[in-house]
Amino acid sequence: MSEPEPFSAAFLDDYFAECDEHLATVRRDLLALESSIGEAALDRERLESLFRAFHSIKGLSGMVGLQEAERLAHVLESYLRALRRGEAVLTQAGMDAAVAATRTLEQVIGAFRERAPIPEVAPAISRLEEILPAAAPPPSQPPPAPQRLSGVPGGFPELPEREREKLLAALQSGGCAYWVEFRPSPALAERGINVNAVRARLREAGEIVHAAPRVDAEGAISFEFLVVGPIGEAQVAEWERDGLSCRPYPLPEAPAAAEARPAPPSAAPPPPTLSLAPSNVVRVDLARLDELMRLVGELVIDRSRLEDELRRVERALPTGAWRSLQEIQSTMARHLRDLREAVMRVRMVPIGEVFDRMRFVVRDLARDTGKQVRLELSGPETEIDKYIVERMMDPLLHLVRNAVSHGLETPQERVAQGKPAEGTIRLSASTVGDLVAIAVEDDGRGIDLEEVAARAQAQGLLPEGASVGLHNLLDILCAPGFSTRLDADVASGRGVGMAVGRTTVQDLGGTLSVETWPGRGTRFFIHLPLTLAIVDALLVRVGGQTYAVPQPSVREIIEVRPEEVRRVGEDEIASYRGGPLPLFRLARFFRLEESSPEASYALVVGSGPGTVGLVVDRVLSKREIVVHALSDPLVRVPGIAGATDLGDGRAVLILDVGALARWRHTDWAESRPAQRRTEDDR
Amino acid sequence: MIDDTAQADTFILFDLAGTTYGIRSRYVQQMEMLEHVTPVPNAPPFVEGVVFSRGQVIPAVSLRARFGLEKAPYDLRTRLIVVQVGSRVVGLIVDSAREFLSIPEEAIQPPPEAISDTSGRFLEGIAMLGSRMVLVLNVEALVDIAETVPAPPGGA
Repeated sequence: MSEPEPFSAAFLDDYFAECDEHLATVRRDLLALESSIGEAALDRERLESLFRAFHSIKGLSGMVGLQEAERLAHVLESYLRALRRGEAVLTQAGMDAAVAATRTLEQVIGAFRERAPIPEVAPAISRLEEILPAAAPPPSQPPPAPQRLSGVPGGFPELPEREREKLLAALQSGGCAYWVEFRPSPALAERGINVNAVRARLREAGEIVHAAPRVDAEGAISFEFLVVGPIGEAQVAEWERDGLSCRPYPLPEAPAAAEARPAPPSAAPPPPTLSLAPSNVVRVDLARLDELMRLVGELVIDRSRLEDELRRVERALPTGAWRSLQEIQSTMARHLRDLREAVMRVRMVPIGEVFDRMRFVVRDLARDTGKQVRLELSGPETEIDKYIVERMMDPLLHLVRNAVSHGLETPQERVAQGKPAEGTIRLSASTVGDLVAIAVEDDGRGIDLEEVAARAQAQGLLPEGASVGLHNLLDILCAPGFSTRLDADVASGRGVGMAVGRTTVQDLGGTLSVETWPGRGTRFFIHLPLTLAIVDALLVRVGGQTYAVPQPSVREIIEVRPEEVRRVGEDEIASYRGGPLPLFRLARFFRLEESSPEASYALVVGSGPGTVGLVVDRVLSKREIVVHALSDPLVRVPGIAGATDLGDGRAVLILDVGALARWRHTDWAESRPAQRRTEDDR
Repeated sequence: MIDDTAQADTFILFDLAGTTYGIRSRYVQQMEMLEHVTPVPNAPPFVEGVVFSRGQVIPAVSLRARFGLEKAPYDLRTRLIVVQVGSRVVGLIVDSAREFLSIPEEAIQPPPEAISDTSGRFLEGIAMLGSRMVLVLNVEALVDIAETVPAPPGGA
């Protein structure tokens, strides 16, 4: 067995985790069967569950090339099949042999995990074979194509649990499943058939349940897809004409119903117990963690109410009594914070999982576009909420594709400009306070702002004569339908992906920004909260309304006196640390009653040239809030990120500080309709 | 979607500016007394704001404003009818609501062309129950932000 390469490390983790799960099932069900020894009628459910567990381990082991485990699981599976069909009666000897084989199976998988020598499996296999019905062909013979093609009849690889569920779900809505293989070739590429084109076509036909690259013995790469949908024969014929090989995929409920073996019963020594290889990994459904997080959220609200109430009764209580109550309250607050962090930590996964998948994307795209690309990753160990990671996949994919197909020049162009022929794409992640910063940067040609402006004007996205700068570049790039190239290629979509990507980021409470340097490259920055649900926020009062402002985005709060504010045309500027601070009047933007021009406060937000002061009437307090998304299009408005409940059942809106700061830098009288259009198009 | 062969469907009836309307009850999640509505700046004019309903933040739509009628102050009879359309959950603010009624499909007629103005595009049909007239709402058109083509009468 070869050393696992870095990419497959995550996959191996999944393999071990899934095997752990299946082995846990096996231990439970095998021992439960023991009470039925000698009986003709066995608990069918347990037999089924055991059979499926071994079947899955067999398939999974085949995929990672662990033949010993595959052979063990195969013979165990055969035994279970015989029992299930009533071709064998469960005997003590049979039970012992099965338990011994299971124990060996555990040892094999354990050794593989530890990279230790794999223990001998032949004795366990032959012991079980003796129990198996005599009429059977020699069962120790490994399944037909031992390396990868096991698990599902017809030589298909076993699907991971998640994909199997997806497959079942997709089949529920009708249609059929096809296994499609695509082997890229220059001839096909000339006809525009590359992996992305294939993927796009399959996606049109149905849902892609499984997609994986594959390297064969000669080192050639091919791609396998499992697509489910209303796929007709004509469709398949068309795919085949375009060089895809298609095979119907069997329904997942029908596991290998191949060889049958009637079994003679045999006699019985005492029951052994299984030695359980301890595993420290627990797999938990994300929904359960969500529930946990929700409960913590409720507690946070309860505690805030307690604090409010304590403040209210302060005068009514003797000082000593009040103090001790207050002390309990603050201890509770601390513990609650710890609890919240502990729950959050459970939800965190390294972002490297996502980065790793980009390697394949870049490899494909580089080949398809004839560019030379080096992918640099940094900070793959940066942890972020699982929920966020899963949703970031598509936006990141889009940015990376853009970087390769639009950002980087061809090797010839690069050399002509004195750059190395090989372009660099850098994916980095780091934790900054309560935020995770992800950057996608390339050292390519940069974005030509004038070209963008011309194109945006031609498409009616920008008024004639208006220019494009860093402040509104992203709005234009994300406008539905905008594309920087007339010949929008398959790889990087047609301006739809950017819009969707930005919405995804914003829905997660994050921001997307861009920087570009002509001739030197482009950098997209995504800032995301480490986790969702609970943040510290400042409560502010504007025009008679209360709003919550996530505290991590507020740099400072300054007092603004009317006499210190200078007017420059429509704009108001205050001074901040010796420099000008453009003010943004929330009351005006939100069309609320503007307060009397006495002293008000400005929340300093944004960074660099994007720094603005959000003007509010009063800052009320700071507290933890539970974030609820405002997902309905009716209330998806600029500058509002979500809503929270402060304990009285009323909704308090949470400001989207990043969006407001950006807004200040665009002429919002002009861009408001454009923005609304973007919202509506969703 | 309603099967054409369905004999009758149940409706929640409510009042708005003196007219009785009906919503197919399968859309209705629950009805609530109207408590505090938080205004959402720059939302469409017929959106009063958001409210918490069963731990979820949902938009509250003023049906009066949606139908181009004059807004009325909320009172004890004011109700929030929470409807689910697809994956969306939206609250509809109505003057009052209390009745639950079964209406035979054949009693529902397409809306006359004469009222295909502001509120007409939100109607699925009109039911005559004796002397009583119930306007059957097309909930999907109602919460559709694009306010596009009204659904074909009786087909929704």
